[in-house]
Formats: sequence, structure tokens, C-alpha cells
Amino acid sequence: MATDGPDPRARLAASRGLARRVRRERRATWFPLLVFAVVTFLAIPVTRNGHAVGLNCRALPVAGPPLARVCVAHNSAAFVYWPVALIVAYLVIAAFHLHRSRARGVAGRIGPYLVVGVLLAVAVTAGSVWASRTVLTGRYDIVGWHLLGRDVYQLVAPACAIGLALLVLAAIERSVALLLVTLAYLVVAVGGVDLGWRIAAPSPWTFVPHLVVAGGILLLASAGFAVAQRPRPRPGPPGG
Amino acid sequence: MTGHPVNGLDDVVHQRVRLGILTIAHEGRRVEFGYLRTTLDLTAGNLSQHLSTLENAGLVTIDKGYEGRRGRTWISLTRAGRAALRAEIRQLKQLIEQLERGSG
Repeated sequence: MATDGPDPRARLAASRGLARRVRRERRATWFPLLVFAVVTFLAIPVTRNGHAVGLNCRALPVAGPPLARVCVAHNSAAFVYWPVALIVAYLVIAAFHLHRSRARGVAGRIGPYLVVGVLLAVAVTAGSVWASRTVLTGRYDIVGWHLLGRDVYQLVAPACAIGLALLVLAAIERSVALLLVTLAYLVVAVGGVDLGWRIAAPSPWTFVPHLVVAGGILLLASAGFAVAQRPRPRPGPPGG
Repeated sequence: MTGHPVNGLDDVVHQRVRLGILTIAHEGRRVEFGYLRTTLDLTAGNLSQHLSTLENAGLVTIDKGYEGRRGRTWISLTRAGRAALRAEIRQLKQLIEQLERGSG
């Protein structure tokens, strides 16, 4: 039997306070967000300097003018850039966490994040290869969702891999704030939201608004977390 | 032995500093000796004593090594340590419930 300590409420509160404090000191949410923002912004010059290859067309399966058809092509540079950039991003994030855990003296669980990250990068590559060879023209029912062809392409886009990796990070860090930011990012990036900024074809920059908006959300969130998680003077030892 | 939650509390875990060590170790994959010492505001000797108690009870593992020329000691929670911490928190909650029922 143990009777050390005056009040179990104080003991439990002290334990919870300590857990919160360690969690807060361990978090560095701003860094993965910054890395993914940089990866997204770097995709702009890469995509601009690539060229469309593997043009694949199919006539629309509806009554219409005889020339109505849908064509799919992939950008030669972006096709290689995204899988490589995502894997490099995960490695940089893992190295940062290792360095930080050594410096701070408390190491978090980065293993699950890395495993999911590499799996997502592989999935993005497989999804890109599939999307570049498949012309989707109809409606598709995927786990109860009714999607158009362009929606299916968004689901296998790199932005979806970034969003899913951030969801895993939110779960590992038990961060509600990161969960909310990630959901907002997924709505904008995967949903193709451009906030009203459009560059019409045949400009070679039509893809820019989407990447700028998605990267901008990541960058703003990174700055917000950097301010919120900046080092503070350490409180005294827990009581109870 | 009665069914009162106080009897379910483990002396090794319930002690204030040792509960703090287990709580901190639970939040990370592993924690460094110096981090525990500053967070819990202990002397090195005092912390070592508590760590020995936890290690002897099989609740933590202690790994000593070097990073460059600097010696470092890392502490990790064992599976038994995780279970003991969970049990302690459960007992504390039950004790609080009983206290609140008694005063209500």
C-alpha cells in the first residue's frame, strides 16, 4: 500500500501537467510544414521547365459533338520531381527530429511517421504512373463517394500524400491544431481550391495558383506553429 | 487486502518523483538523464537512486553511451513500466471518484 502524497487529485494533475509540458517541448510542428511548403513551391519552376509527354486521349462516353474527348498527359519533370522530393523531405524531417532529440534530451517516436512517409511516396509514384496511362471520363464510386475523373486524379496527387503524412504527424504528436490545419490543407490542395485566382490556358503557368495556395497554407501554418511553439522559460518542478 | 483503490497503488510507482520519471518517459521514445534532472529539479544523486529503483523493478531500461566525447544516459520505459503507469493512473482516478462520492 502506498500513502505518499497528500491528495490523489494533486498527484494526477501534476502527472498530467508534466505530460503536457514534455509534449509541448518535444513538438516542432513548424519544421515538417516548412519542408513541405518548400517542396510545393519548388515544384513551380520544376513543372514550368518540364513538358507534357505521354498524351493519352479518349472520346467522351456521352452524346455530343464528334470531337469531344478528354486527354491526359503528364509533366516530364514533375513526374520525377514529386516522388524524389517527398522521400528527400521525409529524410530531412527525420534527420531534424534526431538532431533535436539529441539536443533537447527527449526523443519522440519518428518511426511510424517515416514508414508512412515512404509508403506514401511509393503510392504517389504508383499513382502517377497509373494516372498518366489512364483516361478517366465517367463517374466513379469509391467507398461511397461519387467522383468525377478529375477528382480521382486529385486523390493520387502528391498533395494528398503530404496531407496524409501530416495527419499521421498530428496523430503522433496528439496535436488538434495540426489536425485542423491538415484538414484545411486537404480541402484546398486535394479539392483543387484556388481562392478565385486563375491563370487561363494557353498560358504555361496555369498550374501556379493551385501550388501557390497549397504552399502558402503550409508556410503560414509553419509560421504560426513556430510562434506558438517558441521556447519559453521553463516552469518550476511539478508539485503534488 | 481490501478492494479500496489505495491498496492497488504500487509504492514503487506512486512515489512523486518516480511517477514523474515514468510520466516523462512515457511521452518520449527515450529521455536523457539531464532532461529528467532539470525537468524534475533533482540532484544527480537523487535521480540516480530513483532510476535504480525503477530499473530494479523492471519498469525502465537505462542505456549509457557516448555522443562524441560526451557521456549520455538514456532512459526508456519498458512494457511493464507502461502497464504500471497505466495502472497507477487508473487507481488514482478510482481514488478520486471514491473521495468525491464520500464528500458528495
